[in-house]
Amino acid sequence: MIQLKNVNKYFYKDEPRELHTLKDINLTIKDGEFSLFSGPSGCGKTTLLNAIGALDTVDSGEIYLNNKEITTLSENERTQLRLQEIGFVFQAYNLIPVLSVEENIGFIMRLQGSSESEIKSRVFEIANLLEIDTKLQSLPSTLSGGQQQRVAVARAVASKPKIILADEPTANLDSKNSQKLIDMMRELNEKEGVSILFASHDELIAKNVKRVIKMEDGALL
Amino acid sequence: MFKLILKMAWKNSFLRLSRTLLVIIMIAVSMSMMLGIQGLYDGMAENMIDKSKRSDSGDISIFAKDYRIERDIKNIIKDASSIKKKIEILDGVEAVVLRLSADGLISTARKSSFSIIRGIELKDEEKFGRFSEFLKGGELNLSKRSAIIGIELAKTLKLRLGSKVIFSTQDSSGEINSIALRVRGIVQTTNISLDKNTIYVDKQILHKFLSVDETYATQISILSKNKELLSKLKQEYPSLDIKSFFELQPMMKMMQDMMIIFNSITFFIVMLVVFIGILGVMYVSILDRVREFGIMLGIGMEYKYIRTQIILESVIVSFIGYLLGAILGVAVLLYLNQYGLNLSSFADALESWGMETVLYAAIKVSYFSSTFFAIITAAILSVWIPLRKIKKLNPVEVIKAEK
Repeated sequence: MIQLKNVNKYFYKDEPRELHTLKDINLTIKDGEFSLFSGPSGCGKTTLLNAIGALDTVDSGEIYLNNKEITTLSENERTQLRLQEIGFVFQAYNLIPVLSVEENIGFIMRLQGSSESEIKSRVFEIANLLEIDTKLQSLPSTLSGGQQQRVAVARAVASKPKIILADEPTANLDSKNSQKLIDMMRELNEKEGVSILFASHDELIAKNVKRVIKMEDGALL
Repeated sequence: MFKLILKMAWKNSFLRLSRTLLVIIMIAVSMSMMLGIQGLYDGMAENMIDKSKRSDSGDISIFAKDYRIERDIKNIIKDASSIKKKIEILDGVEAVVLRLSADGLISTARKSSFSIIRGIELKDEEKFGRFSEFLKGGELNLSKRSAIIGIELAKTLKLRLGSKVIFSTQDSSGEINSIALRVRGIVQTTNISLDKNTIYVDKQILHKFLSVDETYATQISILSKNKELLSKLKQEYPSLDIKSFFELQPMMKMMQDMMIIFNSITFFIVMLVVFIGILGVMYVSILDRVREFGIMLGIGMEYKYIRTQIILESVIVSFIGYLLGAILGVAVLLYLNQYGLNLSSFADALESWGMETVLYAAIKVSYFSSTFFAIITAAILSVWIPLRKIKKLNPVEVIKAEK
């Protein structure tokens, strides 16, 4: 479960151009949710996603991830938290260009120290689910945008994180590929029980998620 | 995990092939040239030291107590033959020669000059210092009243093979005596003082000429790699003046030290160039991939793994450069060792400094080991600045920047 209590975040704090990007956010996200932070550009949804994912710090308030306060963690502890408990899917896929699809999917598991046999079977399982099992030996550069994003999702989910944070995952995909990706992520949510939080203004995602959390000007509506 | 990081480092090293090749070639060429220069410096110094030892003092020379202060025939080692026999059987002694020398005046019909007459036994000198290798003209013949003369002295007196000279000096009783000699050979030892002043005659003839007992000598020279020998001899013969090569030839010691300094300067400059080269390429390579590293940090990769990957990339490129440089360097050194560098157009200047006109390179394993450590150190140090940039990287900024 994710809990946010009175979370505030400023950019350029104490400068004339100060921006209050998260305003007193109070929110609870239960395990296994398939939710979306929605709102216009600049409303703070990515900032909120980054704060939940321990990628970014906040100026005040508390964030609990499975009852553990994460705003007070050190840089190394946050890195470990991201590695062990959170999966990320970015807009630009961000796969490692010199590694094969198989190695990209198993990358986080290797960082976690999983055994090679465990990694192999898990990579094949996820690749099969996301229909990229025929591309395991390919390099990311040889794949289409849709396939690359599925590899990114596979990488995020392979290590069985408790939560996947997906920031504009469909921004570079056409509607057909976007729908396919959303369907697959929903399937992962249902089969694997992983919580998936999107930050996007894509209507297609909004139609498919179970909960839409609307934001405007740094605040929840 | 290390296997994966090594794989990423290897593949990233060749991601920009032309850039990587450029660094490899730069390292290889710089290194091979440096090895060539080091080899020539050392070869030149070693050659001069070697010839100086072989032609004169050996590793250790023994004189009568005051002989080097007052080069008089009275200051002579009286039991030289028995000392020689005792030294020859000592551990590590390769060769021992006795020499009898006297200062005097050498004259032709037109010219005269200060000279040193040196009585030698050709067989012993050959064993001691391969004397025949110094022969520049004529033959090694000291029979009857034949003489061999230093090349510079021959030039000064305008002597040729077959020329007749008169050498005058004081004998052991103080009488001035002269001996007529015929030049049968001309030698060049590159030991300047010998080549400028010395005329070699048969030791027995000189003994008779100077009226000196045959067991006497003015100098006992020893070739030996035994480092303990000097102190041992000093203990054994406290009444004699026993000196090491570098004590007798401080210029050679200075030259050797100078060569070490030259080599160090060359080494430092080349390594600085290599360092700047690797730094430049690694910096650009890392800046090109800031986003990649930011994402890695973002998804939970610890900084230490990224640091290992970057260091490995730098080390891989540098090591390949080193291997290529070592192969090229061996080729250059072998060529210079075999055929030498011909500087005959500077012959006069070089010979006046006692140097050969053809410089031959030395080959030492230490060239390759010290270069290996320096290049690997340069490779590791060169990524220090780019790594600091990665360490300060905020993944959020990188992710933001991609949008």
